[in-house]
Amino acid sequence: MSDAPAVSPGDFPRRSFLYRTLLAAGARFVERHGAALAEDFGAPEAEARRARGMGLAELSPLPRTGFKGPGTAEWLKAQGVAVPDESNRAARQEDGALALRLGPGEVMVLGDLAGRSGLPAALERAWNAAPLPPETSPATPRGFPVPRAETHAWFLATGQDAPAMFAKLCAVDLRPSGFPDGAIAQTSLARMTGILVRDDRGGVPAYHVLADSASAAYLWACLIDAMSEFDGGPLGLSALRSLG
Amino acid sequence: MSDNSFRLPGHAGLLIDRARPLGFSFEGRRYRGFAGDTIASALAANGVRVLSRSFKYHRPRGILTMAGQDANTLVQLPHEPNVLADRRVLSEGLEVMGQNYSGSLERDRGAAMGLIARFLPVGFYYRALYRPGRIWERVWEPIVRKSAGLGKVSLDGPRAYHDKTYAFCDLAVVGGGPAGLSAALTAARAGARVVLIDENPVLGGALGYARFDAEGARGEALRRELIAAVQAEAKIEVMTDALCNGWFADNYLPVIRGRRLTKLRAKELVLASGCIEQPAQFRNNDLPGVMLGSAAQRLIRLYGVRPGRRAVVMTGNAEGYGVALDLLEAGLEVAAVVDLRTAPEETATMAALAARGLRVLSGHAVVEACPGPGNRGIAGVLIDSIAAPGRGAGQSERVPCDLLAMSVGYTPTYQLALQGGARLDYDDETALFSITGQPAHMHLAGAVRGVHDLEAVLADGRRAGRRAAEALGLQAGSEPDETTDAAAGGVNHPWPIFPHPKGKDFVDFDEDLQVKDILNAAADGYAELELVKRFSTVGMGPSQGRHSALATARLIASATGRRVADIGVTTARPPFSAETLGVLAGRGFEPERLTAMHHRHLERGAQMMTAGLWWRPAYYGPPERRETCIAEEAAAVRGNLGLIDVSTLGGLEVRGPDAAEFLNRVYTFAYAKQPLGRSRYLLMTNEAGTVIDDGVACRLREDHFYVTATTGGVERVYRSMLWWNAQWRLEVDIANVTAAYAGINIAGPKSREVLAALCEDVDLSAGAFPYMGVREGRVAGIPARILRVGFVGELGYELHVPASQGEALWDALLAAGEAAGIRPFGVEAQRILRLEKGHIIIGQDTDAMSFPHEIDMVWAIGKKKPFFVGGRSIQLRARRALARKLAGFTLEGEAMPGESNLVLRDGAMAGFVTSVARSPALGKTIGLAYVHPEDAAPGKTIEIKLDSGAMVRAEIVPLPFYDPENARQEM
Repeated sequence: MSDAPAVSPGDFPRRSFLYRTLLAAGARFVERHGAALAEDFGAPEAEARRARGMGLAELSPLPRTGFKGPGTAEWLKAQGVAVPDESNRAARQEDGALALRLGPGEVMVLGDLAGRSGLPAALERAWNAAPLPPETSPATPRGFPVPRAETHAWFLATGQDAPAMFAKLCAVDLRPSGFPDGAIAQTSLARMTGILVRDDRGGVPAYHVLADSASAAYLWACLIDAMSEFDGGPLGLSALRSLG
Repeated sequence: MSDNSFRLPGHAGLLIDRARPLGFSFEGRRYRGFAGDTIASALAANGVRVLSRSFKYHRPRGILTMAGQDANTLVQLPHEPNVLADRRVLSEGLEVMGQNYSGSLERDRGAAMGLIARFLPVGFYYRALYRPGRIWERVWEPIVRKSAGLGKVSLDGPRAYHDKTYAFCDLAVVGGGPAGLSAALTAARAGARVVLIDENPVLGGALGYARFDAEGARGEALRRELIAAVQAEAKIEVMTDALCNGWFADNYLPVIRGRRLTKLRAKELVLASGCIEQPAQFRNNDLPGVMLGSAAQRLIRLYGVRPGRRAVVMTGNAEGYGVALDLLEAGLEVAAVVDLRTAPEETATMAALAARGLRVLSGHAVVEACPGPGNRGIAGVLIDSIAAPGRGAGQSERVPCDLLAMSVGYTPTYQLALQGGARLDYDDETALFSITGQPAHMHLAGAVRGVHDLEAVLADGRRAGRRAAEALGLQAGSEPDETTDAAAGGVNHPWPIFPHPKGKDFVDFDEDLQVKDILNAAADGYAELELVKRFSTVGMGPSQGRHSALATARLIASATGRRVADIGVTTARPPFSAETLGVLAGRGFEPERLTAMHHRHLERGAQMMTAGLWWRPAYYGPPERRETCIAEEAAAVRGNLGLIDVSTLGGLEVRGPDAAEFLNRVYTFAYAKQPLGRSRYLLMTNEAGTVIDDGVACRLREDHFYVTATTGGVERVYRSMLWWNAQWRLEVDIANVTAAYAGINIAGPKSREVLAALCEDVDLSAGAFPYMGVREGRVAGIPARILRVGFVGELGYELHVPASQGEALWDALLAAGEAAGIRPFGVEAQRILRLEKGHIIIGQDTDAMSFPHEIDMVWAIGKKKPFFVGGRSIQLRARRALARKLAGFTLEGEAMPGESNLVLRDGAMAGFVTSVARSPALGKTIGLAYVHPEDAAPGKTIEIKLDSGAMVRAEIVPLPFYDPENARQEM
């Protein structure tokens, strides 16, 4: 996959919320889902090591979606999605996607990191294809889609030092001992609202960060600043693949 | 003064690295120290005794504690005042100065204050400086203020990086002495995750400097043993150089380490904070050369510094004999050990001293220190036998010496426990403070609990560790619940206070308070300690009473005939020690929001402005061309084609069978019959009927409205919607999708033709897509919601597209409009354009009282609805005569009122200007203002008071100012 041709973010209408920041950090981009994602930052081997210590990847262009409102969980289950019964838990799907139960009536679905999962798009298609409520009166509540690929930027922080790094920005105890794989915290992160999901990669602690897309550049800078004491820095897709 | 002439030979000095010499300066003179030295230890090694001048009398002061606990060692660094010289570690090239002097530290003109001390009794300014009239504010306060404060703040110093972090543990142990070490080990071995906090560079506490046996080897051996055990224990995280500076509810502990504040949450807390050695009170007890016994020991063992040449030790306990042995072994001549006790119990240390033939005077006291030249040290002490508590027999003997070491007792380091609500009692038998009633999940261990014998301290640490572990649900073996300490009874002498008729027998070194000051306060009727504190300022200085509280309590108790336990100490509040504002501020997080086109604006030279957390382009061009740029941008929209980024507008999806009913309730207008594919104005009022937001509702489906809200108001609107529906339980879901959509308004006569070139699947013709229509389609291949709205009063389309594609759409529109001369415009031009159309901006043209009738928005109220939020209040308010009305005005000539300029009527305020601008389209000044209702009719004139005070007359005109038929926006 690393042999994919290099592309430029401006080649595509859909662009990362902070592609200029990635360019400035020396990113080499590849195409995924009609947008450019950073494959690496010029030193894939060092970045693979960094991914185990402390690194941060920008995944915003990858597919994800969300549903909220009464009936959301039931409708998603009917679509074959494994939805956790408890709020603030994440469930891995068969195709590698991750369903995040954010509340009784709210679920976010993240595609897999390789971009192979078609689940987010399939769910949106299925919802839109269903008959509209006025034609099926009385309607069965089934939630409403929310454009999570646009409302939220998506980062992945990886490495052993991630809990210590997050501790500088966030009051929740994210140490592996108290925050198990699949746990979700909806909390304040560098004074903005954010969602953190622990999703270890090949035995390395990893945390998805989902937060206001308009503040993506701000939050990225805060995270990079916080990880500097751990020699942390940006990661591309190749470093994430190296984690397994 | 030779270089390091007081440095001990060999390897002495646990903390210093003799292989790494460092150069530094003090008061402009160069010295050398070693890595690991503090400023104070390095100066002491070079024979420098005067570190500072006292606050009130400018008396020379030197080392007192060597523990970072007192104000004597406060020095000035180039960009940092009030640095504790006995805590700050030396660095190469450090430039250190003294503080609080006039002239030089050695020869301070301010010392003359000491000569008039008798005319400045405690609280004198309460009595003397308030008459006549306002003399305090005019004369005395400026003088007092000038002399108040220590050190100089540097306003041009480099910005330092501070930050904060959160941490969590099962058990926090505050204090890394023998009690803390054994508590941490016991709990960790039981399975607890422990954070061990100590303010010193190395663990061990008193083990590192004090003497626990005649041979002097026990402390260091035990220290090494315990530290090795702690280092081998994976469950213990050690934080040295870390100050736990307070206690907050549920063991929330602020720990300062360098420039980082750690906010530590501990399930259990073992407080092993030890004790603070106390000075004795006698004349000149504050001079350099008079120090605590533990300070002399710290100099010797931690820094390899000889604290003097010839010493006298005044003691009231067995520890003083250990100090004397240490001094002897450090090569000092010990002239005498003066023991306050009449018949001290024999110890091995005393025997060892006796074997060396040392002079020991039991039942004696040092009643006065004899100053050296300029009070810059001591030349000797006067020793007298004790005739009665606090009184010598009057047959004093002068003993020459340059060092007096005092070992007369301790107070527990009670501050954190008291902050947690514990009480402080005093045992008249042992003369010791004791702590009781500490909060749940706080355990005391060691000297802070009144346990002093080393073996008992270790046992007490194990006991506390076990109790903490058990509270965590862990098994930690068995240990007695109580620790017996045979030594505790003898560590504090009950009355080491020897007042002198001529004073200078200091109780509080920070505030220069003498014994008589405390007694006078009591005599003046201030019998309660909190009142004594406020009247005399005792305990209010940098050391917060750490060395004055015990003596003050004893003096007040004695003067008022009560028990010390009844006096107690003043309320302990965080912080324990001084902390910098930088530590409290931390890194500082200031979130900001960027639209998808943000960088395109910058590339075009936009001047950005904030709108809430967002950045928006104010105008495009250099600041010196501001007015021209804004006028040109406005003209482009009116005459040709403009483009503005409106992504910051709030966006909400309101969906569900009850969506229209929900909007009917939260907004003033009616939405039940709103056709699909149409937008409708929204006006929101609060329960009081006050206008709080506006926008448009686009009906995309029967059960789906896309609702816009103001940039600054959307978060509140969203919260308010959730709050209302939590009560109404309508079948509706509300989602805030503000960030999801980039918004671009393309406006101007040419907007239709340019947009049509990019838009294949939506018919833009006036018939097919009328004003206030809403369509969904693709623009430049990007999925878009297209709204025909007219905020700027021209033909225009607002395009809402996925944020990730906003920049691509912006580029496509600019490219498509290039031939037509498209021009981006900013918020400033938009404000003029909307003002020309008479559109209000919520928050600018409305305030906390504005309701629809005042702003001519009655048309936006649905008359047939049974209810909407604020409806009842609006009805009630409308029954009363209006107090003001928003009206449009024009102004001829050059005079330009400012926003908020008052509108006067018969000399009284009738209202104020809310918006004003020079209209490029109309060629005159236009504005909106609240005016008296009788003046609101077109043709009336109003008077506006300018910033200069001048009055101008303006004419009320009908709104809108521009294109009253709305022909241009509806074309």
